[in-house]
Amino acid sequence: MKHARRWLLLVAALWLLPQAALAQPKKPAGGNKPPPTAPAAGGDIEIDDPNAPAHEEQPAEPAPTPTEETGAGGGGICEIDPSACPKQGDIKKLADRQVAADVYAVQQIYALRRGRFEINPYWSQSLNDQFVGHPGPGLAVNYYLTNVLAVGVNGTYYQPFNSDADFNFENRRATRLAVPLNEYLGGYAVNFTYVPMYGKFSGFGNFIFHYDGYLVGGVGGLFTRPIAVIDPDNRKFDFEHRIAFNVGFGLRIFLNRWFSVIGEIRDYIYIEQLENTQVAATQAGQQDRNTWFGEKPLTNNVQAQIGISMFLPFSWEYRLPK
Amino acid sequence: MKQGFKLALAAAALATGVVAAPQTANAQEIQITGPLAGAPAVRKLRLYREGRAELAVGGGFTLLDEYQRTPFISGRLQYNIFDWLGVGVFGGFSPASLPTDLTEKIDSTAPRNSRTAVNLPGTGGPKFEEQTGKMGWMATPQVTFSPFRGKLALFQKLFVDTDLYVHGGVAFVGVKERGDCGGGGGQPACNTAAGFKTADRVAVAPSFGLGLTLYPSNFVSINFEYRAFPFSYNRGGFDSRGSGPDASFPDNKIDSEDRTFKFNQMMFVGVGFHLPTSPKISE
Repeated sequence: MKHARRWLLLVAALWLLPQAALAQPKKPAGGNKPPPTAPAAGGDIEIDDPNAPAHEEQPAEPAPTPTEETGAGGGGICEIDPSACPKQGDIKKLADRQVAADVYAVQQIYALRRGRFEINPYWSQSLNDQFVGHPGPGLAVNYYLTNVLAVGVNGTYYQPFNSDADFNFENRRATRLAVPLNEYLGGYAVNFTYVPMYGKFSGFGNFIFHYDGYLVGGVGGLFTRPIAVIDPDNRKFDFEHRIAFNVGFGLRIFLNRWFSVIGEIRDYIYIEQLENTQVAATQAGQQDRNTWFGEKPLTNNVQAQIGISMFLPFSWEYRLPK
Repeated sequence: MKQGFKLALAAAALATGVVAAPQTANAQEIQITGPLAGAPAVRKLRLYREGRAELAVGGGFTLLDEYQRTPFISGRLQYNIFDWLGVGVFGGFSPASLPTDLTEKIDSTAPRNSRTAVNLPGTGGPKFEEQTGKMGWMATPQVTFSPFRGKLALFQKLFVDTDLYVHGGVAFVGVKERGDCGGGGGQPACNTAAGFKTADRVAVAPSFGLGLTLYPSNFVSINFEYRAFPFSYNRGGFDSRGSGPDASFPDNKIDSEDRTFKFNQMMFVGVGFHLPTSPKISE
């Protein structure tokens, strides 16, 4: 019996507990809607009040026409002080009033990134080297620590795709002056990505797609070597590692919440080793490896990277307020 | 018997495959109901372009230059018939060209001898930079198509209306390049000082590209634009074509055959002013 009392108390306590919270306040049924509070005479009416009924909302049942029995029609305070009741003119004035609605320009971020991996295969193309092209495939993997900040790695493979422009040959033939050329084997970098801007576009006024813009920067390495142009009979170069910093920016256009098309401009900044433009006078000197190397200029290898981007996991739950 | 069983098995497998094959996919139109039914993608859209004239002024610079970099003082005058379609003229002029590092190296270190006499002025002659091809001005009647309108958020604080557009037209470019020489008929010899003088001509080229416009206010916009206008000209002032197989060897003459194809590119950054000063707003 003692236990039965305790159980009854527990059940009563549980029954009295608040119900589970709902993300959206439950709308009262139209018929049971509490009547709006009538404003005091001369006072402001707070139409931004979230508890206030919207103007567009129609009552579930038409309100009864004011009659002699119902007095002024407002009931309550209207019966005591008719001047406090809203007049038709007041309603029109309120309807015309400019509302500073609390609506965000971008209601929800279309694709949340926090806690997701991004896998980004791309094709890279040289933008600022008119002498040698360095195209190649690459892959980037990023992990988003927050919705706007990611850490990741990327790597690009250049070796079979280096291309010597016709311009080099024609310039050499016309001027008898050779421009030192270099080719790349590959490169890698550890990067931070910051996403300061996002937005959406309406296409042809019919559909909407979302995009974001990001900044990227990091440090890594490039494996490069000179192409023997000045003295190809004697010189043969091996690929060597060079530390390369990189900065860039990109644009990501979302086709859905996990798949996007990406375009990026990245500048890989490193100190290049060029071939020596002077050839030693003697054969022994020409074969001496120490005479092969020339200037070491600071080099900007600007690349355009175009690819696709996939976010994993594919879906998520919004935890931010709308 | 065994073969008959196999045949029957094969026939049964085929029949199963045919029956189990997927049916033709049928798409079903999703009928949107409620307040969004039939509603446009965007309401109350500011029509920044429709019925407005735009004057944009700014600067441009060429990309991937071999011998000369060309900065442009540029502008665009445009009238937008619709929000998505405009006609206008882009143009500009270059007050001065800037030599590249290669140009300076050729001038200072390239040998002057009988092998280079046609291509490089002799010691004490004009500088190599003077014979290189340059762009002096540009005028491009064009059509602008703006299919994408939207907005972007910067740092989740600053919201700017934007549009993305493509443009296409015909570029008329004032080119200064090495004049004809060595061809007889009163032309100077190519290895004389007179043979290194330049001549002007107008090159006609297709022009196309894309751009992004930001509208920080109703009246003023900021514009980033990429433009390609490929055509052939003699950038180095060299004799590189005219004889041998496919005319791909030098012929000791400078003429139109020595012009080589270049995919000319430029970036333009400008500020636009729109009239009337307030845009229309869609329904």
